[in-house]
Parts: sequence; structure tokens; C-alpha cells
Amino acid sequence: MTMVDRLGSEERAAAALVCAPGMQPARVRELVSRAGSPGRALARLEERVDEGQLGELLARRRTRVYVEGRPGYPIADALPERPAVLLAEGDAPQVLDRPRVAVVGTRSATLHGLRDAHELGKFLAEAGITVVSGLAIGIDGAAHNGALDVEGGGVVGVVATGLDVVYPRRHAALFDRVRRAGLLVSESAFGAQPTRWRFPVRNRIIAALADAVVVVEATIAGGARITAGFALEYGRTVLAVPGSRRNAAAAGCNALLADGAHPLLDPNDVLVAVGLTPGARRGWGAPAARGQPTGDAAALLRACGGEPATADQLASRTGLAPDQVALAARELEKGGWLARDRGYLWPR
Amino acid sequence: MLGSVRSATLTGVDGQPVTVEVHIAAGLPGYHVVGLPDAAVRESQARVRAALLSSELEWPKTRVTVNLAPGGVRKTGAGLELAVALGVMLAGDQLPAGALEGIGVLGELGLDGAVRPVPGALALVDALARSGAGVVVVPEANAIEAALIDGVEVRTARSLGELRACLKGEADWPSCPELPSESDDHPTDEDPLDLAEVRGLAHARRALEAAAAGAHHLLLTGPPGVGKTMLARRLATILPPLEAAEALEVTRIHSAAGRPLPSRRLIEQRPFRAPHHTASVPALVGGGSGRPRPGEVTLAHRGALFLDELGEFPPSALDALRQPLEDRAVHIARSGVSLHFPADFQLVACSNPCPCGRGGPTCACSEVQRARYRRRLSAPLLDRFDLRLPVRGPEPADGPGEASAGVRDRVAAAVERQRCRYADWPWRRNAHIPAGALARLVPLDGDAEEAWRWLIDDRGLTGRGAARVRRVARTLADLDGATVVSDAHVLSAALLRDDVP
Repeated sequence: MTMVDRLGSEERAAAALVCAPGMQPARVRELVSRAGSPGRALARLEERVDEGQLGELLARRRTRVYVEGRPGYPIADALPERPAVLLAEGDAPQVLDRPRVAVVGTRSATLHGLRDAHELGKFLAEAGITVVSGLAIGIDGAAHNGALDVEGGGVVGVVATGLDVVYPRRHAALFDRVRRAGLLVSESAFGAQPTRWRFPVRNRIIAALADAVVVVEATIAGGARITAGFALEYGRTVLAVPGSRRNAAAAGCNALLADGAHPLLDPNDVLVAVGLTPGARRGWGAPAARGQPTGDAAALLRACGGEPATADQLASRTGLAPDQVALAARELEKGGWLARDRGYLWPR
Repeated sequence: MLGSVRSATLTGVDGQPVTVEVHIAAGLPGYHVVGLPDAAVRESQARVRAALLSSELEWPKTRVTVNLAPGGVRKTGAGLELAVALGVMLAGDQLPAGALEGIGVLGELGLDGAVRPVPGALALVDALARSGAGVVVVPEANAIEAALIDGVEVRTARSLGELRACLKGEADWPSCPELPSESDDHPTDEDPLDLAEVRGLAHARRALEAAAAGAHHLLLTGPPGVGKTMLARRLATILPPLEAAEALEVTRIHSAAGRPLPSRRLIEQRPFRAPHHTASVPALVGGGSGRPRPGEVTLAHRGALFLDELGEFPPSALDALRQPLEDRAVHIARSGVSLHFPADFQLVACSNPCPCGRGGPTCACSEVQRARYRRRLSAPLLDRFDLRLPVRGPEPADGPGEASAGVRDRVAAAVERQRCRYADWPWRRNAHIPAGALARLVPLDGDAEEAWRWLIDDRGLTGRGAARVRRVARTLADLDGATVVSDAHVLSAALLRDDVP
């Protein structure tokens, strides 16, 4: 029962307010603003949950409750839209005390985007920065995983559902990892389902929690651009990884760059953005020093021009016979210069 | 008062001998057919009677009973009419007894007594020959086809009156029609297809060549308009010719299905069937209401079945393909009959990689949409493709490719190599090597073994995928004229079997 004891009465009231029947985040915001505090807002509420049962649930789940204006509440700026109450669960709440960078992007990411997100998550975690993201398929998941692959790497996963709902189901294992090494955060009541409107609303928390937002890959109409929009509104630095005009998953990033976002060419730029001193080494995990490919392999890699290509295209561009392409592709794959995905050869 | 004539009927694509017995006895005039006739057979009375009267022969003014034996087999089509007419003549003493001893009869009758051709003559004559008939009388239009069967003498019938005269020995048999010369084969109106029209696409062309040589199933994925269909259709131009036994088999099937045969009687080209994606399940795999008919998979026997826009076919139709793909035959069970349709075809399919059609790096679909599209195609079906690869349009600098003729020669040589290698085995092509025999029949030497291990250990190739890669590697080696499979063959084979999509 120590956790419940640690939750003050205001925190318990805040949790009860969030979990009240039919309650929505926007209404919590409104009620708390009008009443002055969650406790007073709850007192005016007619329909409430059984607070004893809720207390037991919070104790069993070891849920933390962050209330606006109280110690520990993680969003320092007085943003008008910031959630009045945040529920959080996880074994490492101290990750909120570090600098926080959001790494976000599309669910339909390319292999290159996934790699960038993973490497960036890893780089930031190694620099002692907490990676904030939304636990979605694609870029979000890759960034989380990258940070979690670092010993002691900190992550915050902001979910659009209740904390007891795992969505997407495929990320159940990732949810467990985040709980062990970081924090899951939500502004919604337990049991809140992944309805469509919750996601863009959730994205403002990601932007609010982060000191800087990095968009790795985003489609033109994707949720990552919504996050970036909130971030600009909140005065956060927005960085975007530039991509080819032919890559549909880079169109959103390029649009952000055109609108004045910082191009992310080196992960050290992120450190500068959050006021840290950049490290000496170049950030992107460069292929280990194995020398350069030679002969056919070198020609094949050159023919890619940094873009994914089919074996047919490479054969046409290099004039190599199919067998030679196959042999050279293996050499490049073994050396880590090339990977295969969805029928294409992707240079690193 | 009793006449008995041998004839045959079709069940599925096989012939079944039938004895037509006609009994004429005193009683009220009437006509009864017993022995599981279908509607066409039951209707025969009108035609037989009219044909007899038109030929200045008699129709008995008493009771006529026709029995079709064996009684348990359903008789279909009008091909038994000539036999019924001759039976009536025998029973009515209009023909000498014994005139039809050892003679099988096929043919449909016109009201004027003309003898009309029947579908499936090849299978029917074959059935008659195997049942011991030394001579068959067939309609003139079926004579060339019937002559393909060894060990049986073919006589042609043009009309009932003439046939009676011949059987009585009053006239000579009309001579068999001449085999048209090769130059009589009119070229089709369409422009002949040729692989030379396909620019670039080195790997896709190689996959097509391997598919033709090793009878591997091939799946091409790519955005609309890059030439998947163009490439796939040109498979027909490089398929190896049918072997003699295969040609007979294919001709039998197409004859039984009532499809027009080439003027030079035997089908020598491998069939290339391309049903539209609205095809029903029975149209694809066979069956259907009434007389079970062979489906597209059977018409594609020993050839290729081309399914364009695989994702547009109803899932039920694609699921129905799985069993024929596995067994290379279709079994249709009905109350009373169990039919076996051969279906040893190779499947060639084209598909968009995802709902937006672009695939690869420019794809705008979400992971979820792609997964849903993949589910439509069903993993077990996709797994059966030995060759599957993405197709992108040609590069700007690509020139015209190698013409079909050269490729066809390599394919024919590779097929010949396989025929020699598998002389002692029940299969003929690399695609059909059972997984258990792969290690023995497709040994891998040092470098190839290493490449193979790399694919399995580092690239995560599954056991079944590895077996398919090994078969294709063997085909690539055969195309190169190599006795030993090299690492380049193994790696190329793996490159031609990509994850989808």
C-alpha cells in the first residue's frame, strides 16, 4: 500500500476525475481550470467512480499520477493545452528528469527510415537523453527499440489509450520493455480504446513533453506532422531528416524543412538543440571500418546511388550479368553495405 | 429382333465404352431408353427416326427399347445416336447380322441422315480400342483425330445411307481425309509475341527462362504498366515443345473439352491459358453443374496457367488452386462418379505488390494495408511460387532484349538435360523434385554449400524456401549447361525468390 500512501489526496482525486464515467481529456482540462484544482473539480462532479476500488487499482498497478502545478509534473511551460492530469506507469520514472527528445514518424516507414530511427534512438540514449515517442508501428517503435538497446537508455511512451490497453497488439513486447526501462504515459482513463480521434490529441503531449522533436520519416498527411505542428506552436525545436522526393515516406519531412524545420544531417544537431555539447564522434552509426567494397560490389553500390533499387535496375545500370549481380549483392550484404527488403536492395 | 453396337461416352476427359442394345418387339409403337441417359441422349429418338426416314430406311412401327450398358455410367451427349440408328437397323434386319462385329461407332446424326462430329473423339476412340474394337467408324471431321490412336482401323462415315451401303459391302468406304500440309496452317491475326520487345529486366527475363525450363511457378509483382503482363505472356514463346506422349495427352483433353484442335490434329504447343479474374471456382478447377467439365487448370495441363492480377481473383478460387498445385491433378467426387482430371500446369501470376500498386520505397501504404493485401493472396499460395520477384520499368538506357528463339533453344536444352537426369524417376522437371531427394540429386560443392549456408543462417531462409531455392539453382545450372550447381546459381536463385511484397 506504500504507493497509495505516496499518492496525495489531490493525486487520488485527479485520478478519480480522469476515470470518472464519460470523462474526456478536454473536459478534465476544462473542469480543473474552472474549479482551480482536481480535488475541487471532482467534488462538483455528480457521477463518480468508486474511489476505494480505484485506489486499490492504482495501488495494484503502481500507477503514478502527475497533477499540473504539483511537484513532479513533467511539463514546465504553462501551455494552455497541457493535460491537467497525467497517469504514468513504469519502473523508471527518473527518465523524466533527463533532457527529453521526441522521435516520431510514419507507420509506413521505409527500411532506411527505420534504421535512422533506430540509430537515432540509440545515439540519444547513449548521450543520456530520454527518447519520447508514441509506441506506434514504424518509426516510433524503431526509435524506442534503439534507445532500449542501450544499457540504461531511457524512454517515455505516450499512449493514446488507457494504460491497461496495448495498442498496437503487435507491440506487446515493446510495451513491456518500455515499462521496465522507462515510463508509459497517458491522459486517458483505464480502458480507453484506440479510437481514431485520440491519436492527434495524444500527439500534443509528445510535443509538450519533449525539448526537441525529430521527425524521421513522415507522409504528407501523417500524424507526425501534427506532432511537429504542436511542437512549433509550443516553441520546441523541430528537426526533420531530409529524404528523396521519390520517397512517399519522406514527403512530410521535406515539407517541414520547406516550412523552416532544421535539417537533421548529424544526430549531434539534436544535442545542440537541447543545449548539450555535441560529442566528438560523428553521430550516425557509420558502417564499421571494413574498408570499401571493390570490383563488381563497388560498381553495384555506386549504381544504387544511395537509393533502393531492384536487381533488374542494378543489372541494367552496371551491365553486370544476373549471376554477377547476385554474387556482388551477397558480398555487399555480408559487409553490411546493403540490405534486402520488399524485393529491393537498400544501400546503407 | 435384337441389335447390339459398340460405342463410347465421355466421363470427364476419359472415354468409357458403352454397348448400345436395341430391342424391337411387338407392341404399341414407342421408344424407351434405359441406362442413365442424359437429356441429349433421351432426345435422340427424334433425330434417329428422322435420319432413318430421310435415308429411305424404316423406322419400326412397334415398340423400340434402347439399353445403354453398363447401366451405372451416366451417358452424355449426342455421340451415341449413330450407334442407336445402326442398332435399330440391325434389330430390324436392315443390316445383316454380324455386320458390326468388332466395330465401334461414334457420331451424331442430322435430320437428313448426315453424320456429324462429336467432341472428345480421341478419348472415345482410345476407349473403344482398349475395349477390343478393331475398327471404328467415326464422322469424317473426326477421322484425322481418331487416326492418332494406334492399333485401330479408322473408317469414316458421311451419311447414314452411305454407311449402310459400306457395311453391306455394296460400296467402298470413303477414304480418310488428307492431313493438311504445314503451309495450310494460317498464321493468327495477332502479331507474334517475342521476348525481344522486352527491354532491360535482366533478372525478370532470367526468372521467366527458369520458369520455362524447370516448370517453376512464377509470380511477378510490380506497379501497373511496368511490363509484368507483357513479360508473362511471352512465356508461351519460350516453352519447350511437348513430347509425343504429352502431345497426345493434351490433345485428348482439349478434344474432350470440345475445344477446336489445330488442323494438323496434334496439339504440339504447350497450352497457355489466361482466364480472367472473374472466373468461377468450377471454371478454374473443373466440375460444375450437370456433366463435370475440365477446368482451366486441366486445359493448362503440361502448359502454363497465367493469372493476371492475382489479387483480384476471389479468395475461394485461389484456395481451390492449392490442391491441384500440390497433386497436379483434380479429383471431383459426385454421387455415383469420381472423376480424375490431370492438372500438371505451371502457374504464372502477376500482382500489384500492395493496394497503392507502387510497392517498395515509394509505396504509400501502411504496414496494416500491406498485411491485409498479403492475406488476400494467402501465404500458402504465395509459398508455392519458386520464383517471385519485383518488376520495375526498364532503365532509360535499356535496349531491346534477346529474342525468344535463342532463349527457347537454351530452355529446350535444359529440359533435355532434366529428361536424361530424371529418366529413372517418376518426375521430369526440377520443380517437381521431392524435398527428400534434393540433397542427393542437387549436390552442392564447397562454394555453393557456403552460399547456401549463408542464406539459411544469416538471411533467415526457411527450410521450405531453401528447398525451392535449391530447385531453381538446379534449373539455372541446367540453363548454363553446367553439371555442378555453383554459388552464383544458388545466390541468383535466392535473388529470384524474394519476400513478398
